Amino acid sequence: MGKTITIDPVTRISGFLEIKAEVEGNTIAKANASGLLFRGFEKMLKGRSPLDAVYFTERICGICSTAHSMASTLALEDALKVTVSLNDNYIRDIMHGFEFIQNHLRHFYLLSIPSYVKISSLKLIEEQQYTDFRLPEKINKKIEDDYVKSIELSRLAHEGLALLGGKAPHNHGIFVGGVTANIDAYKLEKVKDIIRKAEAFVKNIMVEDVEIISKYYSDYFKKGISYPYFMTYGTFDRYEDPEITYVKPGVMKDNIKYNLEPDKITEQIQYAWYKKDEGLEEVDLSKLNAYTFIKAPRYLGFPMEVGPLARLIVSGEYKNGHSCMDRNIARVLETEKILGIMKNLAERVELIPNNQQVYSIPEKAYGVGMIDTTRGALGHWIEIDKSVINHYNIITPTVWNLSPKDESNLHGTIERALIGTKLNNIKEPIEIGRIVRSFDPCVSCATHLIGSAGDTEIVEVLV
Amino acid sequence: MSGGKKCPFTEVKNHTARRLTNDVVGMVKNTKKMNAMWIEVTGCSGNIISLLNSENPGLYDILTGTVNLTYNNTIMGLEGEFAFEKFLETLDTEFILLVDGAVSTKEKGRYNIVANYNGKNITALEAIQLAGGKAKYVVAVGTCASHGGISAAKPNPSESKSVQEVLSRQVIKLPGCPCHPDWVVGTIAHLVGYGIPQLDNEGRPLLFYGVTIHDTCTRRGFFDKGIFAQKFGEEGCMFKIGCRGPITKTDCPRRKWNGYVNWPIGDNTNCIGCAQSQFPDGMEPFVKYTD
Repeated sequence: MGKTITIDPVTRISGFLEIKAEVEGNTIAKANASGLLFRGFEKMLKGRSPLDAVYFTERICGICSTAHSMASTLALEDALKVTVSLNDNYIRDIMHGFEFIQNHLRHFYLLSIPSYVKISSLKLIEEQQYTDFRLPEKINKKIEDDYVKSIELSRLAHEGLALLGGKAPHNHGIFVGGVTANIDAYKLEKVKDIIRKAEAFVKNIMVEDVEIISKYYSDYFKKGISYPYFMTYGTFDRYEDPEITYVKPGVMKDNIKYNLEPDKITEQIQYAWYKKDEGLEEVDLSKLNAYTFIKAPRYLGFPMEVGPLARLIVSGEYKNGHSCMDRNIARVLETEKILGIMKNLAERVELIPNNQQVYSIPEKAYGVGMIDTTRGALGHWIEIDKSVINHYNIITPTVWNLSPKDESNLHGTIERALIGTKLNNIKEPIEIGRIVRSFDPCVSCATHLIGSAGDTEIVEVLV
Repeated sequence: MSGGKKCPFTEVKNHTARRLTNDVVGMVKNTKKMNAMWIEVTGCSGNIISLLNSENPGLYDILTGTVNLTYNNTIMGLEGEFAFEKFLETLDTEFILLVDGAVSTKEKGRYNIVANYNGKNITALEAIQLAGGKAKYVVAVGTCASHGGISAAKPNPSESKSVQEVLSRQVIKLPGCPCHPDWVVGTIAHLVGYGIPQLDNEGRPLLFYGVTIHDTCTRRGFFDKGIFAQKFGEEGCMFKIGCRGPITKTDCPRRKWNGYVNWPIGDNTNCIGCAQSQFPDGMEPFVKYTD
């Protein structure tokens, strides 16, 4: 008879997550991840003015609101057939870049590091139920100091975003047709200065810190290994110039690269607290065997890993494994990579006004916005009817990573990463939190999403 | 004005939180700091992210100087039952309860579980009612906690309510989507050092919510001269494209955001009334054009 470990709340993530793991011997044999918050944004969006989707959907998530402003704006531009100038795309990508930097700095230092490094000057962070802290005192102190320094850098990344977008989180500046800011020499110089400061920190400090951690916790290259399935919708990919390009859309499965075909995405609800009622989805907390508010999206029927590691693997830049520690390393390497792209984008920005127009809303239209954001592949799908939102569907990155089992009983990506992991000390299952956090889950994003109103269990996403 | 001196008006506006906190840090240095818990419930966690953006003073100073934060899901070291035990332990002390998010009440609160303790699911509703009954002060941080906000947007699928609606006691309200870090930090400092700040009839500190955005708007001159923007991206007063500045009470125009560098109207977009009790339903459409 195995032992069941329940961790709820999994802290130092965004939102509410419970992990239940069954351990046999000292190895995790079963794992269920439960997202425990439901808001129902799709129902709220129905009937609202399409242009309001940008500021409305940002409020899905406080840590990655810029991601939603990007995807909703792209979906609206698709529906309204609006094109964006090169200069506006540069500025928009710089804003999105600042969000990556803010997120990755905060995730790495504030959320992830306290599982590996003792932060003894802050009581709230220092208190832990585990004892597996391996760094020698001097090295521990160095990373603890870096933790404190990172607070200012992540704040500064949001300042860069606000310079161009008005405020953060929940910016106003990313909007249909490009941006709303009129870039000037002062703003651009300040943006460049923040990029320089962040780059100095990441290159000189953050990269070294993750190297140290991967050395002292090298067993984590063997823990938290999930499926060899990776997907990206592409990000910083609207240009031909390689100096400002990161990754084009793609899928990597068993080391073979494929083009992304969006019509191969499905969503299943077998183990999620939803039922179909005359084609519409409703919450059903009494549903047998269901254990989460998160649905199970699949690509060609397979769970996919999304996020920094997936992007670096699909772009061919990361050749090591796909363990807990590989994910931590990929996040840091990507931070440096994106700062390089932002620097090159800023060099190309011209001091010309924005291109805002008066946009008229068609009677009927359909639009798709798919883009990779901090945590991975984010899709917004909007259907306009009678000039208002008739249907809005969102599949967030965390839904991909944190999905439950599907109809073929294939576990979601994080569940799979937990299963098979050996616990060093069954009384102190610190591995679970470390592995879950390596995916940077955002449950605020993941648990209020409703699929299309189809009448089969497997829902085809309209593309 | 002679060299080296700064405009006292701007100084006070920009540094109220810093000034209050400095005073209070001095006052509490040699005494035991008051406990505080920051509980995230039904929302986007945007207010804790906004707090991390705090600058005057910064997060580290807040955590070491002003209060003793015993619980916050996003940054605390403990997890699982050990984390929730900190919540329970704090209940028996003198503490400030800071709530980030609305309180979901559908299915007895089961749309939002915040912990599993001794095999029992703890709903956000239970946690807020338990802590709200015992806290010395309750502060609703952000529009969801203050008024339901976007979490309670029509048709309100989770039956989300404001903190005030689930507690029969005084709740200090700091609306804003997100809440400006200075508004939270300044209010905490005031509570610790001087008690409850002067509030308006909606429970908001006058210090931060005393006048409308329109009253002190950086584009007020355009309004007075009748120069109006026709769409986003333009200079001019945003009144005719639906700016909610005339009814929204915050100090955004003077204080600004994120290192005090910018704000929505500074970015050529209108105020969408995110700090208003009717946000979002009563503030829509956010975007409209003059014909």
